[in-house]
Amino acid sequence: MSVLEAHSHISSSPIFVSSQLPDIPEMGGFVVFSGIVRNLNEGKKVTHLEYEAYAPMADEMIRAILADARKKWDLLHANCIHRVGRLQISEIAVIVETGSMHRAEAYEANRYIIDRVKHEVPIWKKEFYIDGSSEWSKGCVHESH
Amino acid sequence: MDIQLLFFAAVKDHFPDLKKIEVSEGDSILNLRKILTHTNPGSESILKVSRFAVNQSIVGDDFVLMEGSVVAVLPPSSGG
Repeated sequence: MSVLEAHSHISSSPIFVSSQLPDIPEMGGFVVFSGIVRNLNEGKKVTHLEYEAYAPMADEMIRAILADARKKWDLLHANCIHRVGRLQISEIAVIVETGSMHRAEAYEANRYIIDRVKHEVPIWKKEFYIDGSSEWSKGCVHESH
Repeated sequence: MDIQLLFFAAVKDHFPDLKKIEVSEGDSILNLRKILTHTNPGSESILKVSRFAVNQSIVGDDFVLMEGSVVAVLPPSSGG
């Protein structure tokens, strides 16, 4: 087991969307968001990405964001896992799951969690381009990404 | 006194070998920003937009460093 595996919200292993939902009888709505590595950014063709994290701090911050979401909404399930290391196009970089009695809380909490994870948690993305060059992402300047 | 430094992402590229730095008693994060900028002037623009964490907690510019503090320099993050 690598050191990273000790941090449950930060993973060096591939992330998959499970067809198995959490077994919670009260749950009426379950939302999954997946952030996926795409082949184009700012008009440049991307071949792959590398994610780097300050793993112990990132893990703790995601844990705190999930706890804040549970305080704001009546959630029956909330989880977030972010990948680190080298990722290929179409691989999942981050997954956020939320479950609640009704859909509204699950949708709202999910958006809240991913927005805070993207803006606050110490995780960085390096893009590798088809021309062989590479660049660290400048951070979240586009709200819709 | 010595403090430990952790650099990440774009900041790491400016200070590839710097693991420890000597600061004075009473020096704050603001002083450290100035010391690092002086060490490598090319890092000024990225340091300006970076956050600092001491022992894994985000701190402000007036936070006073202590012997052995583990200071992480965190450029703007881009997870997701």
